[in-house]
Amino acid sequence: MFKFFSSSNIYSLIQKLINFINSIFFLILIIGLTFALVLSPPDYIQGDSVRIMYVHVPAAWLGLACFSFITLLSILNFVFKIKNFYFINKSIAPIGLLFTCLAIITGALWGQPTWGTWWAWDARLTSMFVLMLFYIFYILAFKLLNKEELIVKVSSIIAIIGSINLPIIKYSVEWWTTLHQPASIKIVGSSSIHSAMLLPLLLMLLVFLLYAALIFLMKYKTEIIRIKKKNIKRI
Amino acid sequence: MIIEFIAMNGYGLYVWLSFSVVFISFAAVYLKTRKTLKKYENEFLVELQNLTVEEKNKALENSKVAQQILAANSKIN
Repeated sequence: MFKFFSSSNIYSLIQKLINFINSIFFLILIIGLTFALVLSPPDYIQGDSVRIMYVHVPAAWLGLACFSFITLLSILNFVFKIKNFYFINKSIAPIGLLFTCLAIITGALWGQPTWGTWWAWDARLTSMFVLMLFYIFYILAFKLLNKEELIVKVSSIIAIIGSINLPIIKYSVEWWTTLHQPASIKIVGSSSIHSAMLLPLLLMLLVFLLYAALIFLMKYKTEIIRIKKKNIKRI
Repeated sequence: MIIEFIAMNGYGLYVWLSFSVVFISFAAVYLKTRKTLKKYENEFLVELQNLTVEEKNKALENSKVAQQILAANSKIN
């Protein structure tokens, strides 16, 4: 079953996927930006500052999604001992950190005109800040430790402890009184966002997803080459 | 009309700064990742060149990845 995960099979697939993403990325980016900056209407309260949502929300979602994925793979790696999961996690973590930092920065840029402050230690903002710290600790485990077994143990512990923060981020706006607004988009139940704003948001989410996939594939490809380089004499 | 679009009813600074921060970061991370990938590809090829002909043939025979890196590099050259 796990023969599919062999590096040579994955390597050839990666190159095809990178080429595919490169061929469609800029087209989708231009469509997404046109909708986000030109065609979508301003909000009746927030005015044009609502356009920051089109970069802030996808960044926050992907920051959370990357950490959830890292936690899932860390648990699976403990059970099945699949080495590729270690390299996948190593490649995903910097992308997750990038998106989390971007969510915090764009959130501050949205907060200033909307709330009158760049930052407040409220539940949603603080829990996102904690997520950023967990990403930093996670990446540092790979940078500072030498033995692979130890890295797997330490990074998995960080991921599992950090995953406790994920539902806190999600429900922080319901559990506590926060400056941050409650979720406008719900998977279960009706969303309170108008389709004229939902479409640009989904398009920008697609742009962010493609970018994340592209960087992940490049990083993962680098990892495969690094291992092959180390083992070249043994080949 | 263009000035109105740039000004975004007074929110232009925040909106443009947000989009700029995001896409400049995207470009920087992409370039850094590509540079690292190229560096490792080149180092791998140097290691491969340093092998004897017999070792090199054996390495290429046993590793699809090595074949693909070599093929991609010869296409570029």
